[in-house]
Amino acid sequence: MRRYQTVRTLVIQLLNTALLLLLSSPLQAQTAREIIDRVDRLLRGESSRGQITMEITTEHWSRSLDMEVWSLGVEHSLVRVQSPAREEGTATLKAGQEVWNYLPRVDRTIKVPPSLMMGSWMGSHFTNDDLVKESRIVDDYDFEISFEGEREGVEVWEFQLTPRPEAPVVWGRIEEQVRKADLMPTWIRYYDEDGDLVRTLTFSGYRTMGGRLVPASMLVTPADKPEEQTVLTYHELDFDISVDESFFSLRNLRARR
Amino acid sequence: MAHDRLWWRVAWRNLWRNRLRTLITASGLAFGYLGAVLMVGLSDGMLVELIENGTRLMLGEVQVHSEDYLPERNMHRTIGGYEGTDLEIFLNQISSQEDVTAAAPRAYGGGLLSSGEETQAALLMGIDPDREPHVTTLLSRVVRGRPLVTGANEILVGDEMAEQLGSVLGDEIVVVAPSSDGSMGNDLFTLVGTFDTGIPAIDQNYGLLALSDLQFLMAMDPARIHEVAITVGNAQDSPRIAETLREFLSDTELPVQVSSWTDLRPELAEMVSLMNAFHFIVVIIIFGMAAFGVANTMLIGTFERRREFAVVRALGTAPIGIGQTVVYEGIVLGMISLVAGSLITWPILVWLHNSPIDLTQVTSGFSVGGAQWRPVLRVEYSIESPIVAGLGLFLTSILAAVYPAWKATRVLPADALADR
Amino acid sequence: MRLMVLLKLAMRSVGRNVRRSILTSLAMVLGLALLVFSRSLAEGAYDEMIDSGVRMGSGHIAIQNPEYLTSRKLEHRLEEEVVNLASEMTQDVLKESLVTWVPRLAVDGLASSTAAAVPVRIEGVDPDRERTFSNIEGQLQDGRYLEVGDRLHAYIGTELAQRLDVQVGNRFVLTAQTATGDVEGQLVRVAGIFQMGIPEVDQSLIHIPIDTAREWLHTPGAASTLAFLLKGAELTDIGVETLQLKLENERKIRVLGWQESSPELAAAIRLDSTGNYIFHSILLAIIALAILNAVMISVLGRRREFGVLQAMGLTGVETGFVVFLEGLFLTFTSGVAGISAGLLFTWGLFRDGLDFSIFMEDGLEFGGQIMEPIIIPRFSVEQILISTLVILSIGTISSLYPALRASKLDVAEAMKFEQ
Repeated sequence: MRRYQTVRTLVIQLLNTALLLLLSSPLQAQTAREIIDRVDRLLRGESSRGQITMEITTEHWSRSLDMEVWSLGVEHSLVRVQSPAREEGTATLKAGQEVWNYLPRVDRTIKVPPSLMMGSWMGSHFTNDDLVKESRIVDDYDFEISFEGEREGVEVWEFQLTPRPEAPVVWGRIEEQVRKADLMPTWIRYYDEDGDLVRTLTFSGYRTMGGRLVPASMLVTPADKPEEQTVLTYHELDFDISVDESFFSLRNLRARR
Repeated sequence: MAHDRLWWRVAWRNLWRNRLRTLITASGLAFGYLGAVLMVGLSDGMLVELIENGTRLMLGEVQVHSEDYLPERNMHRTIGGYEGTDLEIFLNQISSQEDVTAAAPRAYGGGLLSSGEETQAALLMGIDPDREPHVTTLLSRVVRGRPLVTGANEILVGDEMAEQLGSVLGDEIVVVAPSSDGSMGNDLFTLVGTFDTGIPAIDQNYGLLALSDLQFLMAMDPARIHEVAITVGNAQDSPRIAETLREFLSDTELPVQVSSWTDLRPELAEMVSLMNAFHFIVVIIIFGMAAFGVANTMLIGTFERRREFAVVRALGTAPIGIGQTVVYEGIVLGMISLVAGSLITWPILVWLHNSPIDLTQVTSGFSVGGAQWRPVLRVEYSIESPIVAGLGLFLTSILAAVYPAWKATRVLPADALADR
Repeated sequence: MRLMVLLKLAMRSVGRNVRRSILTSLAMVLGLALLVFSRSLAEGAYDEMIDSGVRMGSGHIAIQNPEYLTSRKLEHRLEEEVVNLASEMTQDVLKESLVTWVPRLAVDGLASSTAAAVPVRIEGVDPDRERTFSNIEGQLQDGRYLEVGDRLHAYIGTELAQRLDVQVGNRFVLTAQTATGDVEGQLVRVAGIFQMGIPEVDQSLIHIPIDTAREWLHTPGAASTLAFLLKGAELTDIGVETLQLKLENERKIRVLGWQESSPELAAAIRLDSTGNYIFHSILLAIIALAILNAVMISVLGRRREFGVLQAMGLTGVETGFVVFLEGLFLTFTSGVAGISAGLLFTWGLFRDGLDFSIFMEDGLEFGGQIMEPIIIPRFSVEQILISTLVILSIGTISSLYPALRASKLDVAEAMKFEQ
């Protein structure tokens, strides 16, 4: 099946890559792969800097954080909290295999070994996995188009991703919906192996930032606790910024601006 | 009956006249009594030692939590919910209960301890340094440094944890813990001491802080705690005491759960029941042997008196008279022996109870069923065991004397006399 | 010649007073039987504890990297060639004393599922060997243990399964730092769930096939521990000594006996020994008392008898000697009877084990290991000999008292008595 699709892909690619954007052309495996990969790397890219607000609502508390985020590939990232004031300057640095936390209140840096990285990232419904994961979704999953057509007046593809036989991933299945017109993702649903929905990632606020069309807003809702959620919103986003590995240093971790 | 009084006097005189025989028999009974009671005391002592080592170290015999706290131990589920409760009043209510010796408040958090480049996951436990020593021996296990003082951001860790962190006394430790408002509570603490409980699960994982310091770190109101640990008079009675306390506290309208150590540490409870089983068998064996010794002696002694009985019969005594004499002898003998036995036994028991024999040169301490056992020979005494032992041996001696006496009375005097 | 006469007199005296002889020796017989019974039970319990303990731990003898015992880290492991060398040499040395051995590769990591991420201790094991070595398969609650040919299978504890919210067949991911320094994930599926009853183990121990572990962690042929199970605990010390001589100067190898690799077990054994010691001391004291009492009481009724002996022409010493011989004879026959009774009783009723499970539900923790509540008595020749010797000594010494009384009699006075 795949080989057949690959042959067809070559043929179509020879014709016109632009045909991909036409509503009614069938999506070939390789370019579907690109789309999924793109979605996966949408907000990570090769290098980026962003200004984000994260609002978390849980059963016991709610809070809102403003943060500045830099990333270089998947190996390096730096997150610095700007507000609320009492947490300003708190930062997390990932450089290669090492993760460091800076705590401005006590002016100390602690090294966090991978086995101690507790599930959630900064208390949100995102996991550390989501943000520091190095392997790409396309390497770990096989995919097929489960639906193609109109949903609520919008032409979309829906993909079903199933983990490859030995891929070290916890999900039993992932479903994604992508808009045909601009290849923007609308939602991603994560299922466990019994087929139960565990969490949903919903995208919205599509606009151009840093020269690319991106969804500025992401909402995570856990299926078992509908009253809880996390909303991540990008206010600014630049891609291909001029940073190299040396930027992701302990000294920068501790810098206040 | 006049006859009765006669037999009593005869019995008494028989005993008196054969002092050596009486002495031998009585000492057998007395020392058998000592052995049996001592064994029960020692095995009870081992059992109580085991329980108390399991409970007095950190658990307490009874614990109070918010109804929804166990088993997940969600940090938000404090006693009295988000508002908490007036600690002074609550603790006093509990302490005022008859069987309760003392109560101490605790709060818990899961977090990280960091020293230099080393970071370790830790279970943070906030304690009241004034109240805690009345309930547990935890603070007395501080081997280096000193216990905590409130309000100074001080921390105690286990010696194994300190090693893993590479910290020494006086070092600064960064404590990070998710707090109740979702932020990452963090602060600097000073390592003022290390403890050695002998239990790796504690020494490797726990960090002790002052209760108010932990509450502040975790953005918790001072009225919010997770647990009250309680020590009671008699550890083995804990389930009943927990029940009573539960009923009492239901009046306060706080949705709480009161658990005894038997609920919280079922493996310890199983250990205790196994030890009970072993001890039961052991005590049966010892007691059996003691009773046998007494019976044997009485049997021999009484069989040797066949001729004596025959003479008495020949003189005209009714068979029943001999029977009565022997029974009364047995009674008097039994009582004398037990009095003598008690006189030897009780001082020994009390002495051992108050100054238990320390075996630390012979063997070191270790953990059994999650409890730490220090090698000390301890003796517990109760009212029941000496009484049961005493009664048992008493009856044994009487019965053992009666049989041969009865046999002797059935033989015609002439034959018995001719036999020798 | 006199000796023969004296001997005959002694024997006849015993024979004529059957009841007295039996009663007197009864204390010794019962006492000895009881000692044999309880000592063999104690030996059996001791064996059981060690056997269970070493199976859960690192066997009677363990071979590790010298730093592994304290660090427990992957970096302190035995590489492939060392593993091969050590396992071959050890099998050579131990020969038939060896029951079986297992390699284990261990690492600390994280287990993640859709529901949670939990810190765990992962052990790569050889399924066939491990199954005969440890009792972990016996604690199976659901599913099955690992089997040869398994690759992505994991055997986890009930508490871990709960926290991860997984059941048999479900997937989850193990993450750890491999030998190259990278953090890598490994997919596994729950093959079976166990319950040891020890919370720390049920929450954090995972068994996976050692080949899978070696591939994942990039440590071909390596092991953290080689654990050897011997036929009997008493063979440990000599085994350790021999292996230390042969292996320890070579490379980074450390040979450990179970007392070192499982210190908690060693300490628990000492508790048991101490308790036993106390119990048997008290028991012995009571037995001695019973014997002494029996002998002394029976002497009281024999004054005339002793007098008659002397009146017949025996000297005081000879009289005493006759009585002594009596005592000796009784003692020795009691000894034989006692041992026989003890052995018969113990073996006959309890050869399949004394079952304690009526007192408790399932196995229990003792010194960090699980014990089965069935104790099979073991007869240790040493113990039986010691017990016998002690009883015989007591019996013999007790016989001195009547012998003394018999020799110091005033014959005329004695004849006045009717007994």
